[in-house]
Amino acid sequence: MNVNPQSYTVDLDWKKPYPSIDHDNEAFWDGLKEHKLLVWKCQQCGAVYWPKAYCQNHENEPFAANCEWTEASGRGKIFAFNIHHWAFHPGFKEEVPYVYALIELEEGPLISSQLVGDDLPTDIHKIGQTVEIVYEDHPAQGFTLPKFRVVRG
Amino acid sequence: MGKHASSGKYAIVGLGVIAGPQPDRSERMIAAEAARLAIADAGLTRADIGGAIDLRRTGGGGDRANYSDAFTRVLGIKNNFYFTCGRGGALAGLGMAAAMSYLDRGIADYVVLMGAVTDWSQSQETRKKGFRGMAHAEKRGYWGKPLGDSRAVSHHSWMAARHMAVYGTTSEQLGAISVAERQWACMNPEAKMYGRPITIEDHQSSPLVAEPYHLLDMSQVSDGGIAFILTTADRAKDCARPPVYVLGQGFGEVSADLWWEKKNFTHMAVEPAKKQAFSQADITLDDVDCAQLYDCFTAEVLFQLEDYGWCKKGEGGAFVADGNMAPGGSIPVNTGGGLLSCYHLGDLTGLAESVRQLRGEAGERQIEDCDIVLTTGHGGELVSPGMCSIHTCTLLGRHA
Ligand SMILES: [Zn+2]
Repeated sequence: MNVNPQSYTVDLDWKKPYPSIDHDNEAFWDGLKEHKLLVWKCQQCGAVYWPKAYCQNHENEPFAANCEWTEASGRGKIFAFNIHHWAFHPGFKEEVPYVYALIELEEGPLISSQLVGDDLPTDIHKIGQTVEIVYEDHPAQGFTLPKFRVVRG
Repeated sequence: MGKHASSGKYAIVGLGVIAGPQPDRSERMIAAEAARLAIADAGLTRADIGGAIDLRRTGGGGDRANYSDAFTRVLGIKNNFYFTCGRGGALAGLGMAAAMSYLDRGIADYVVLMGAVTDWSQSQETRKKGFRGMAHAEKRGYWGKPLGDSRAVSHHSWMAARHMAVYGTTSEQLGAISVAERQWACMNPEAKMYGRPITIEDHQSSPLVAEPYHLLDMSQVSDGGIAFILTTADRAKDCARPPVYVLGQGFGEVSADLWWEKKNFTHMAVEPAKKQAFSQADITLDDVDCAQLYDCFTAEVLFQLEDYGWCKKGEGGAFVADGNMAPGGSIPVNTGGGLLSCYHLGDLTGLAESVRQLRGEAGERQIEDCDIVLTTGHGGELVSPGMCSIHTCTLLGRHA
């Protein structure tokens, strides 16, 4: 299992918006609780999707018939990022400024999340840094959030 | 190639605008009042209106969809059809396409299209609870909310950041877009920012919201309503106001020509939309006298200037910094002040300004001999990782 030693637990009242967990993504959120980043992968051709989708490489197959959730490496590269200085939601007041990034996973798809840690990027003109998933556990709320940190070297 | 048979066959004959704070009015009442003004503007009565299309930015939580079939009763029309339409900022482009198909089949002789927002009033309420921006717009439902995703500004600022990283575009260059639109707004008494000019320094010193975006890179949160009347060209000749003809319309979807993760964040789906609209009208970019480009944020204007071909990809920053879209520039853009400095009602804002320019009613900001205007819309779903998908291009002309 790909357990990151730098993952952490936040067991406080949750004052931010809750994740939107529905039938399509329930397995993904369950995976996070086990410290697994799941992506949707076609077992026939290897194409990887996130979120859950129809494999684009086959015609007239039953929806998602060839695909299943598979654990991803949890690594990727920064595709673009911004720095939020303004808390639109009061739950983020103590967190600003925070870095919110679009990450291209090693497996291909894009995912977005907040970057955490001491080594945050500051120059939006410089992209492509390698990042790695960090699991932020909220046991009292029953979910885990996937955040990312910059990997040196 | 020649003009398509549909070019110039339909026209906008009425316009109604309600601008400024409307704290005591519902969206339904604002839309109805704008519709009343548009019907009167066309020299028609309510009995002439055969159908109504309600233009809504029905994103996320759907608060904007909170008015119902009561609309046509409020307005008092005996309509043959009534429906709602809209994807983010692509309201008017989509609504017009639908209206023209009803006119084509004779289901209605005149169609009213109207939209209204109370975003400003609602944001004043949510501010008291510590929210900033349009907290009412989407309450739940999209990826990223617990991770600090603020939807529109988060996603659009990635696009700006990606363009800056790939092409070296600067914040000052984006500021030039903001400054140019403010120059136009200062010639439009109806604009929220009328009489309040800004400089690049003002842009640079305005608060950073989601870097690279400063406050002055962002569009207005507005109250208001806009309505217009569409009819066939033969009927348009008998209306009270000069007809504004629909010369061409095209649509593009980002997801159509890219793998669906939409990895190219530095352009919009202009290419197919432009091709369709321009070939219907049988014109070229040089024939366009001014453009009303969808400008939820500054970089969207820059992308469109590049994507339509007023400048090369990656050169938009230098192009706007040279004053090309400002008053006196080579292609006047958002001549009423746009969403950045006038008011925000999706692509209806640009459409209203197009009508004014083509009727010669734009006062101090009137473009000389304005014959053809390009108006765009931009919208759709913003589900991370993704971007607004639809781009609409509508070419309007003073002559059929
Ligand atoms: Zn496949």
